[in-house]
Order: sequence, then C-alpha cells, then structure tokens
Amino acid sequence: MTFSAIQIILVFIVAFIVAIDQFDFLESLYQPIVTGAVIGAILGDLQTGLIVGGTYQLMTIGNMPVGGAQPPNAVIGGIMATVFAISSGLEPTAAVGLAVPFALIGQYMVTLLFTVMSPLMSLSDKYAEKAEPKGIVTINWLAMAALGLLFAVVCLAGLFGGSALGTTLSNFADKYQWVMNGLSAAGGMMRFVGFAILLRMMLSNDLWGIYFAGFALATVIGYVDGLGGSALLLIAFVGIAIALYDFQTRTAMKSAGLGAGSTGGDEDGI
Amino acid sequence: MASNALQYNDLTPAQPLDKATLNKMVWRSCNLQGSFNYERMQANGWLYSILPGLEKIHTNKEDLAISMQHNLEFFNTHPFLVTFVMGIVLSLEQQKADINTIRAVRVAAMGPLGGIGDAIFWFTLVPITAGITANMAIGGNIMGPILFLVIFNAVQFLVRFWLMNWSYALGTKAIELLTKNAKEFTRAASMLGVFIVGALTSNYGGTTINLTIENGESPIVIQSILDGVLPKMIPLFLTLLLYFLLKKKGWTPVACIALLLVIGIVGAIPFIGLF
Repeated sequence: MTFSAIQIILVFIVAFIVAIDQFDFLESLYQPIVTGAVIGAILGDLQTGLIVGGTYQLMTIGNMPVGGAQPPNAVIGGIMATVFAISSGLEPTAAVGLAVPFALIGQYMVTLLFTVMSPLMSLSDKYAEKAEPKGIVTINWLAMAALGLLFAVVCLAGLFGGSALGTTLSNFADKYQWVMNGLSAAGGMMRFVGFAILLRMMLSNDLWGIYFAGFALATVIGYVDGLGGSALLLIAFVGIAIALYDFQTRTAMKSAGLGAGSTGGDEDGI
Repeated sequence: MASNALQYNDLTPAQPLDKATLNKMVWRSCNLQGSFNYERMQANGWLYSILPGLEKIHTNKEDLAISMQHNLEFFNTHPFLVTFVMGIVLSLEQQKADINTIRAVRVAAMGPLGGIGDAIFWFTLVPITAGITANMAIGGNIMGPILFLVIFNAVQFLVRFWLMNWSYALGTKAIELLTKNAKEFTRAASMLGVFIVGALTSNYGGTTINLTIENGESPIVIQSILDGVLPKMIPLFLTLLLYFLLKKKGWTPVACIALLLVIGIVGAIPFIGLF
C-alpha cells in the first residue's frame, strides 16, 4: 500500500500532537484507543483502526507511566500498529508486535530529551534572574515542539521504512544498549541535583536530624509491600506531626514570654 | 541558581487574584510537563503555569525575579492534581510569606499528591473507562474512543478547576491565622520541607549498582552488600555529595549534571558494567 501526500502529512501532524499530549495538553488524546481510530480514519480504514487501537489499549492498561518510569512508548506503538495493520493487512495482535521496536525507539527519544533538557534549566535560571516570563514560556513550548518533532519523524520513517526498518532500528538499539543504560542511570541520578538545590536553601544546621529522619522513614516504608502509592502521604503525616509539635511548642513558649532568648539563635539559620 | 533571598522586598500583601487569572493558570497547568527533565522534573512547567499569578502579585521586578528563581527549583507532583499546590503556593505568594515558608509548603504539598493521583487516575479511572471503551472499539464502535475522551476529560477538568479554587481559598484563610506567628511557622514549615526532601531522597532514589564478583557457587552481589549496610545508600550519598559541591564548593547545577553524565556513561561501558 502506498500513502498519498495528504495521508503522510496528516499522520505527521497527528504524531506531532499526540507525542506532546502524552505529557501535556489533555493527556488522553495519545491513548491507543484514540490514535488507532484517528490513524485508521486517515488511512481510509476506520474499522481496523478501532480494533487495533482497542487491542493495544487493553495491552497497555497494566502498563501506565506511573511515578515517571518510562515503559515502551504506547504513543508510537499505537500509531505504528495501526499503520502496519492497515498497510499490510495483518491481524491486530501481529501488528502490535511489529510496532514494539518503534515503541522502544520512542522510549529512547523521551530519555534523550529529558536528559538534554536538564542542563537547559540553567538557561531558565537566567531568565528568572532577569524576571523575564517570556523566556520561561518559550522554553516550555520549544521543549514540547521538540518532543512532537522527534516522534513525528520516527512515525514518518516507519511509514516509509515499514516493519523492516523497525527490526534494523531495534538491532542498532540492542548494540548500543549500554549507552542508553548509561543515560538512564545518569538521568535517574539527576534528580539528586534538584534535591541538593532545595536543601541548599532549606537545610539549616539544626535540621540535619530531620533530614535523616525523613530518609529513614521513607526507606522503612519502601520495604513494605503494598505501600508504594501511599508512602509519601504517610510520610507527610509524620512530618506534619513533627512540624506541628514544634510550632505549638514555640508559640506556647513565646506567649509565655520564654521564647525571645532561646529561639533567636536558631532563626538566623532558617 | 536559586537566589539567596529570604524575604520579598515589598511585604505588603497583593490584591487577591481574580477568578479569570486563576482559571488562566488552570489552563496553563495542562502543560506542566512541557519541559520535563531529569534534574528538576516539572520545575520549568510549574513556573510557566503560575506565571500569570506571579506577575500580578509581584509588581516589583526584583521580587518577581526572586519568586521566579525559587519557583524553578525541583518540582514534581501529579499532573492532574497540580492545581492544589498552585492554589496554596499562590495564596502564600500573595501574602508575601517568607521564601522558605513558600518553598517548604510547595515541597510538602507536591509529594503526597503523586500517590493519590496515580490511585485515582491511572489505577481507577483509566482502567475502568478504557477497559469498557476499548471493548466497544474492538467491536468496531466509533463511540469507544469518543466516550473515553469525554469521560476522562470531564473528570480531569472538574478536578483541576475545583482544586485550584478550593486550595486558593483555603490558603488565604489559613494564612491569616499564621501571620501572627510567622517566624515559628517558617521554622515548622522548613522542618516539614527538609523531612520530605529526606523522604524523597529515598523514595525517588532508584540508583543501584549492577556489579557482581565471580565467586564460584555464590557470586558476590555488591548492591545486596550495600543494602545490608544501609538501603538507599547510593541516593543518600549522591545527594549529600551534590549538596556539598553546590553549597561549599560553589559548583553550578550544570557542572553537577555533567559530572553525573560522566559517571553514568563511563559506568555503563560494558567492560566496567556498573549500571
């Protein structure tokens, strides 16, 4: 099956929009159930699109981007599965299988972009220093456009290269797996820079114990199965109790006229 | 880099934000993750989302710069529940609370929402609606995707708008009680913030070492030895190291990122096989 110029352009636009939508916009247009139908309609076979989209959707239900982890990308997966099902007349499940290498490439693209965007935050810092809201707005939109463009190009390549390209790509990716592993490891560590920046301003010398207490409690709760989702809420309860106790003690001391001398030293550090 | 200011120059509370500005920020909050990155996650998108409010609150350019800088620090919460944090933080900004109070409340509010949002949206709403509508789609019914979009977005925007207005009103009410004991409140809020960052170090810290030493029948797994000493030791060590480099050695965040990239890539070289 050959694609008309209009079909190619429309697929490009859809891929561009839903790639951004996976993190922004409505955060629902990207779901395979939607992209399947849209791509199906563009390629002139809405029925197949609906079926492939529904099949892929059921597959991904247990595989949500929970907690920021990146599963093989369902956005590119959904689009490419529909393309393959319609262009080669494959069964939906077979088409979904052929789309997996592209989904993997999509996942790599996301990792790459999130890594590259990290050092760019210093540019945001400069705009903030100069109180230039426009710079912050521009960076946000440009990053979104970059993500859309990366995904649209991959989908276009898939449109022309077909499933053969997918195999080539995944072989290439396998070979350089270690580079992606390194990038992911570095990406996983970069959040510690963010934590350190927060601590730089918040952590006065008398609060070190509190920092380690939070770390200890989270580590203990982390070992309890079934508390994965509620861990930070439970931790916040304990943190609030500690903070509230401190607040009440100090205000009571102040109203009793004892606080003035004894709290002065601590407050300098906050 | 974050500014070192502890207070705004102009401490007169600003006019309360009008409904139109609050709603504008709700729409902007849809692009919270636009410039997501591994270092500060949603920070730039967070600032982007609350800018309309900040610009109204801080008419003084210096104060706007201070506010923008501290709102660019690490931020990550559930994208559909973010307006709750926005409402509280904006009410504090409007009252010109101490910077460390705002920072600490922001950190304390963003953490727990992740688990709540995942439970509501990813574990409940999406599986149920997508499960039903996917089967409609497989049956060839075009209403499948349409119904999915309508239900999901109705819930999403109801939550976004309601949380924004509710938490802004809540924050404004609470602050009146707290201005009397502002110093004590700042201290207590900082304690909570530091406690939560300590928790995040462990909770978000997934860095492990993938190294084994051959030893016949029982190979030595380095990570399990480290876990035996102190679980999450590597996240803790890295955070403290970066804190030291930033605070005492005057490193920039970019230099820290470069260091981590080198550690990551070099560590992943097959010959070394650290990751």
